[in-house]
Amino acid sequence: MQGTTDIAFEARRKRARRTALIAGGFAVAVFVLSIVQMLKA
Amino acid sequence: MAHAATHDHHDHHGAPKGFFQRWVMSTNHKDIGTLYLIFSLTMFFIGGAFAMVIRAELFKPGMQLVQPYFFNEMTTMHALVMIFGAIMPSFVGLANWMIPLMVGAPDMALPRMNNLSFWIMPFAFLLLLSTLFMPGGGPAGGWTMYPPLSLQGESVAYVIFAVHLMGISSIMGAINIIATILNMRAPGMDLLKMPVFVWSWLITAFLLIAVMPVLAGAVTMLLTDKYFGTNFFNAAGGGDPVLFQHIFWFFGHPEVYIMILPAFGIISEIIPTFARKPIFGYRAMVFAIASIAFLSFIVWAHHMFAVGLPMGAEIFFMYATMLIAVPTGVKVFNWVSTMWGGSMTFETPMLFSIAFVILFTIGGFSGLMLALAPADFQYHDTYFVVAHFHYVLVTGAAFSIMAAAYYWLPKWSGNMYSETWGKIHFWSSVISVNVLFFPQHFLGLAGMPRRIPDYNVAFANFNMISSIGGFWFGASQLIFLGVVIHCVFFSKKKAADRSWEGAKGLEWTVPSPAPFHTFDVPPVIHDDELAHGNTEH
Repeated sequence: MQGTTDIAFEARRKRARRTALIAGGFAVAVFVLSIVQMLKA
Repeated sequence: MAHAATHDHHDHHGAPKGFFQRWVMSTNHKDIGTLYLIFSLTMFFIGGAFAMVIRAELFKPGMQLVQPYFFNEMTTMHALVMIFGAIMPSFVGLANWMIPLMVGAPDMALPRMNNLSFWIMPFAFLLLLSTLFMPGGGPAGGWTMYPPLSLQGESVAYVIFAVHLMGISSIMGAINIIATILNMRAPGMDLLKMPVFVWSWLITAFLLIAVMPVLAGAVTMLLTDKYFGTNFFNAAGGGDPVLFQHIFWFFGHPEVYIMILPAFGIISEIIPTFARKPIFGYRAMVFAIASIAFLSFIVWAHHMFAVGLPMGAEIFFMYATMLIAVPTGVKVFNWVSTMWGGSMTFETPMLFSIAFVILFTIGGFSGLMLALAPADFQYHDTYFVVAHFHYVLVTGAAFSIMAAAYYWLPKWSGNMYSETWGKIHFWSSVISVNVLFFPQHFLGLAGMPRRIPDYNVAFANFNMISSIGGFWFGASQLIFLGVVIHCVFFSKKKAADRSWEGAKGLEWTVPSPAPFHTFDVPPVIHDDELAHGNTEH
């Protein structure tokens, strides 16, 4: 039971890391875009 | 029962023994939450000290105590410290402590990043505050950092670096919260069963990752204008200073909601507990928060009505801003409806929550007045604006944080605070805060501008009343500090696991104080134990 829980928990942690990467990538993209837009303005 | 799946003992099993290991190297959400809360309380008193300087100088007309440049440093630093150092980190601290407990997660999704998010903050603020002691002084151009005024100081690079660090910390905190809520919920904790506080933070975290990078971009452009010869905002070089205002407020207005949406979440937890009724209109509350967050992106130019926007833009931003009153009205209606017919008791968290509903609504109404573009030409840059946003941020955000502290202190510390002193703190605060800020409406309507160290004698009486209220409110917060210290270290009255009779939710199923590790095994969730478990009715 505990082993199953650990595996499920690790899977959730892995999904969480992927979510964090997507959210972080989004934040970096907004930062770059805000400057690029102003360069064009 | 859900708590059967958690540790049923009160010790701090697993907590590192050494101070350095426990607090500096911590990856535990509760310890990091505590660090955030201590940090934000410290910054609250530093920012408050700056406010005392401001109110002392404004006690009487004429120059009294400080030089004009120092006064401008105080107004700028007071805002930066209170917004980025007190209000925002305290909400992140509450999120750290409560979100894993509320969704049945063992910790935040990314514990090491959590540690880094916190430990960036003290260095950012040391850097920012150190500018006050530098030759040429600290920032004095207002927290909005409008160029060219903000570029005249010598400490620009330090301030911008500090803002970058705060931004990185906030973004990492937000990413962690999103990852935790979306991935770490216990089985059965569906999205529409989550506590409203968790919902409010999920939406706030999306706002943070969407707008903090915009602020970072804006201040980076300020930096290159100052030191690398670019002309983004320099009119002489073909740039446009008003462009900065657009970018800043594209960040700045959602920032206002970043500071109030978690407050909505807190109040939505406390009122049902002390009214002993489920929240009225759970789904409407969630959708109202999401609507407010969406609208926050399309209202930024209401801060700029006086710069000379095209008529069409003024009308658009005026109506879009007024639209925010609709979902906000839904929330106020639902809080009142939750109380209606409830078996209410008035412990300190409930008193602060009721004061929040009434006084935040006053701040909301003055916001509607400011949203009227034609009227805003009179109110713009006056003390009416100062009164408005202090009603929103002090009696709104700060009161909600105090309510949250009283509400969850028993869970954090295992002890009950002194209800008598809590109530003394409440009544002293709620009276003094109105003595402090209500007269500022009249000052603004009479034409007193913001950010000035001296003023016409016609404004003398209301300024004196306001300053007395300010000193009184400042002193009242020392009572809060005393109550918290007494509760944590000296209180003899132990808290029950479910510290409040009407409290529901997973956080009340774990022992008080919450053990170092909780929900190592995901809890079995029963709808009737959740604050909003049965939302179909």
